[in-house]
Amino acid sequence: MQEHTQLGQKQINEDLLKGVLTVPKWWLPAVAFLGLVVLTGLGAFFYMVYHGMGVTGLNRPVMWGFFIANFVFWIGISHAGIMISAILRLTQADWRRPITRAAEVMTVFSLIAALHTPLMHVGRPWRVLYWIFPYDFSRGIWPNIRSPFVWDPSAVGTYLIASSLFVFVCLLPDIAILRDRAKKPIVKKIYAQLALGFRGTPRQWKLQIVAGILLSALVLPVFVSVHSIVSWDFAVLIGVEGWHSTIFAPYFIIGAIHSGVSAVAMLMALSVWLYGLDKYIKPDHFDAIGRLLIIVATTWFFFFFLEWVYALYTLESPELALRELQAFQWPYAPLFVLFIVTAFVIPVPMWLFKKVRRSAALMFFTTILVNIGMWLERFLIIIPGLVRRTHMTFDWGTYHPSIIEILIVVETFAFVALGMLLFAKVLPLIPLFDIKEGMVNRRLIKVGRRVIPATIREGLPHHYYEKKH
Amino acid sequence: MVDSNKWGMVVDVDRCTGCQGCVVACQSENNIPINLEEHFNQRRAIQWIRIERYWEGEYPDVKARFIPIMCQHCGNAPCEPVCPVYATYHNNEGLNVQVYNRCIGTRFCANGCPYHVRFFNFWEPEWPESLKNQLNPDVTVRSRGIMEKCSFCVQRIQRSTRESERDNEVLEDGDRGLNPACVNACASNALIFGNFNDPDSTVSKMKEDAMQEGGRGYRLMENLGTDTNVIYLKKVDGSVEVTHGY
Amino acid sequence: MVTDPGDRVIEPYVETDNSVETRKAVSDGLLGIHNVTSNTFWQFAAFFGILFLLGVVGFVMRLSSGFDDKAAWGYYVAVFAFLMTTSSAAPMVAIAPRIANSHWRRPISRAAEIWTLAGCLNLILYIPLIWLLPSLENGRRSLWFYGQQEGVPAYSPHIWATLAIVGLVLLGLSLLWLSTLPDFAVLRDHGEGWKKKWGGKLALGWRGTSAQWNWQHHRMGVVGAFYFMMLVFVHFFISVEFLMVHVPGWIDSLYPITHAHNALQAGVATVMLTMFFLRQFGGYKDYIGLDQFWGLGKLLLALSLLWFWFWFSSFNVFWYGKKPSEQAVLELFVKGPYLYLFITIFILVFILPWFTMIWNPVRRSIWGPPILAASVLLGTLLDRIRLYVASWDVAGKNMVSQLEMKMSEVPTKIPVPEIADIFIMVGFIGGSILTFMLATRLIPAINLWEQKEMLLYKAEVQFHRTKVTIMGKSR
Repeated sequence: MQEHTQLGQKQINEDLLKGVLTVPKWWLPAVAFLGLVVLTGLGAFFYMVYHGMGVTGLNRPVMWGFFIANFVFWIGISHAGIMISAILRLTQADWRRPITRAAEVMTVFSLIAALHTPLMHVGRPWRVLYWIFPYDFSRGIWPNIRSPFVWDPSAVGTYLIASSLFVFVCLLPDIAILRDRAKKPIVKKIYAQLALGFRGTPRQWKLQIVAGILLSALVLPVFVSVHSIVSWDFAVLIGVEGWHSTIFAPYFIIGAIHSGVSAVAMLMALSVWLYGLDKYIKPDHFDAIGRLLIIVATTWFFFFFLEWVYALYTLESPELALRELQAFQWPYAPLFVLFIVTAFVIPVPMWLFKKVRRSAALMFFTTILVNIGMWLERFLIIIPGLVRRTHMTFDWGTYHPSIIEILIVVETFAFVALGMLLFAKVLPLIPLFDIKEGMVNRRLIKVGRRVIPATIREGLPHHYYEKKH
Repeated sequence: MVDSNKWGMVVDVDRCTGCQGCVVACQSENNIPINLEEHFNQRRAIQWIRIERYWEGEYPDVKARFIPIMCQHCGNAPCEPVCPVYATYHNNEGLNVQVYNRCIGTRFCANGCPYHVRFFNFWEPEWPESLKNQLNPDVTVRSRGIMEKCSFCVQRIQRSTRESERDNEVLEDGDRGLNPACVNACASNALIFGNFNDPDSTVSKMKEDAMQEGGRGYRLMENLGTDTNVIYLKKVDGSVEVTHGY
Repeated sequence: MVTDPGDRVIEPYVETDNSVETRKAVSDGLLGIHNVTSNTFWQFAAFFGILFLLGVVGFVMRLSSGFDDKAAWGYYVAVFAFLMTTSSAAPMVAIAPRIANSHWRRPISRAAEIWTLAGCLNLILYIPLIWLLPSLENGRRSLWFYGQQEGVPAYSPHIWATLAIVGLVLLGLSLLWLSTLPDFAVLRDHGEGWKKKWGGKLALGWRGTSAQWNWQHHRMGVVGAFYFMMLVFVHFFISVEFLMVHVPGWIDSLYPITHAHNALQAGVATVMLTMFFLRQFGGYKDYIGLDQFWGLGKLLLALSLLWFWFWFSSFNVFWYGKKPSEQAVLELFVKGPYLYLFITIFILVFILPWFTMIWNPVRRSIWGPPILAASVLLGTLLDRIRLYVASWDVAGKNMVSQLEMKMSEVPTKIPVPEIADIFIMVGFIGGSILTFMLATRLIPAINLWEQKEMLLYKAEVQFHRTKVTIMGKSR
């Protein structure tokens, strides 16, 4: 992390609290517009509740469509938070500092967006509580533990709680700053309650840091299991072609990391443009995330290739018919080509060039392409398998999404954007204490004619490094 | 009377003429919503038993092949473990039962079924006023958002079992009060229903005979290992190699 | 460094101790240890040499049994696969931390790279396998999709597998040579006797100019990246052509990745044990410290937890779906004759590392991680035996043209290893260790230039009331 602006604490406070203490001109119109989209989506949902699922494009055999593709997509995006926060924190990567909170908050909102999709897609949403809560105590009937749909809320719920805790623990010092700066008594009271009495004593700092590290370590198994469990919604079924593949668990996870980290890169670019945070998010940060994305995208592409190889390896005619449908037949063929091009063929070669990696605009453009491609990937895994299934050709079907489904999908995007904007108004999007910690811990070393940054070796006492020659 | 029953069916594809009488009988017995043309176009028509028609050959040697497909009541049902609310489970008489009250309509079971015999109520079923008197009081009328499928007319099984216990009589094999509506309606006796656990029942004998080497019996998509309770008998044709049975 | 005008705090910097004296001191210190060969060393080398001779005897015995009875080759292929997973994955411990800029890898990267030489030994084991693979003519499933019908040559799998494995060994050797190049020059300039001669020959005119260093670093990075990709490719081939195709109905799209991951775990364990022995018996106590065990220990824990995840992903999909073909595969590898072996493996490779290494005192110690590394290595060996012996046992039944295996066709007993197999196992594992030991006579077991490079990045500063070490990040 060569590029750096060493700033004083006062300057950091001013810059990063600007989003909270002032209202940018574009903020209100943006929130109003997004709120309108969310309301329209909710209106579409209530229309669907009133008239029945028939208003969607679902039919037999395509019983799952846009809603489930959207669900998987948002679970995927939610993996970015953990990737950036937990893994980069545990490996002590310094370039994570400006982006952890935005990533974690995006995780929380995308998990909520993901959770409300399956609640919306059931036939009788008013009975959805039966899914998680055992309703029939007298007969002792609990939810069916054997069902992947019961593993789902457990996993996603755990992930949501862990992520929220993570966001909150890392927010505490910043809430304390806001508490101290708040002028209106009611606002001050709210921040005071949330700050849990954080005063910045050494013991409190130690507890806060230890809590952050523990949560980082503990949430990693959750990170691996959540998307595996979501993938097993599909992989455990033998009746649908293309789904019964063991690679689904890691394939979905690597796809999630791909789309999630791309979404974080998008957020970085937006933070720089909308909130003027270019002193904190430098081209070097974009470069670092770009290099991570190259590795992730290439790994993802290998998994995608493996999935296809094994589909053809089975030599089973229904599987081959499915792949023919996916890649060569209308309307899935152009979507397939679009997906490959946007998710890999355009972005990755572009990212190989340092100039592209360092440009916020180009990173924004390529990562939007990636997310379009990854949404299409979820769609192409789910729907063609349902459309063309097994030997019984009499039951082959089609699927055309209806306006209701499109509106609800758009609503989830607006929901996440709205959530992020509202959050940024109430709490700072870049963690103040993390940035200040980076400034304080920063040291420089002269190597030849260059001066490079150096980090304090955390963990072991320094005398351990002394070699006795 | 045997200790526990295992209800099953034998479908003789050779005898099926594709008349769809079973479909109509099922619809009236089980309060299945009326399928209008638009429902067929939307691919949402509900037919607990359906006749699949396959064309074979080129003109002028075209042949139509009919095969009635209903819920196979699999021993190893892929639809059962996936329901989050236990709305579908295997009862102790070998039936795969659907509990309408518990169903919240996730449609996971429909994706699990390789035979596509599970149906979802996308719309609220509507009956014209005059047809409401025709609804079978023994069968729940389902609202929208619920999965349904063939139950081997479990209401008839229940009633016959109750009545036979009440009257202290043995449940007869092939009793028309016990048979599902489709079995009774079939004009060519292509569908036979009975108890596989009773070695003397027609279905048991037919199954034993047909499932031998070279016999006409087979299960749908046997390689999936679903252990269906419905045995199909191959159509007798010049092209079919049958060395055993009739 | 880019500077930003306006509102900057002046930043003082520290100079590192990169003087010629300090560097020479590091170099001399390490060379001093390198030049000493104790009697114990030769005793152990002799022991492993005898084992290797036994291995050669076993190899000849196995060859003489012919290629027709595939089931008899199960243990042989298991040994080949085990050596492939451990020695070919060990260099990853050098490659990956280099990309991640982790300084703790410096004392152990050379030891990791030297294990490639054992890969050369593995090539000898590989050659008979070319005759053992069934060709595409009998309608077997293969990665080459439609086999004969599409005009694909019948021996495609053999060609590709050979290219991949030979390619991997060549890349490993290139990596090792590139990494050792500056150290060969040190041997040439400061060494004695045969080391001076061979160091000179292999150093190829290395002078240590900036251009040469840039070239070396760049090539090492590129070769490292290709090595990783080739490693995954090789595991893809081995797991399919030598394992999965022999069991009809075993269609496990995750398995190549599982195989590669098991290799990474075994590679980390190998390097862990190696560095333990280098520290305790090789005289490198001052160079290999707690940092190395701690860093690798974290990696070993994570990889052991992932072992479970990969295994469970495959197992769950098969077990839940209840397809008869998949149930037969599960019966073969997990629930049937190999049940107790599987439970042992499960404990050694997952349960033990998990329940011990989550505790800081175990993970952050010198003795803890190596014990678990030994457990992981033993478990990996047993795992390879379980998978390959079972798979080749089925291969011996010549069911290769079938698409599915019936439950009745699953073998009911574990084949007993013959004397030849035991000799091969013991001999070639011993031979790999012997190769490593002999290699360290010429190639310094600790990377001299990387240790000297660390001087560039390391400095001590005052932090509040204590002194801390700071490590520079070059990127």
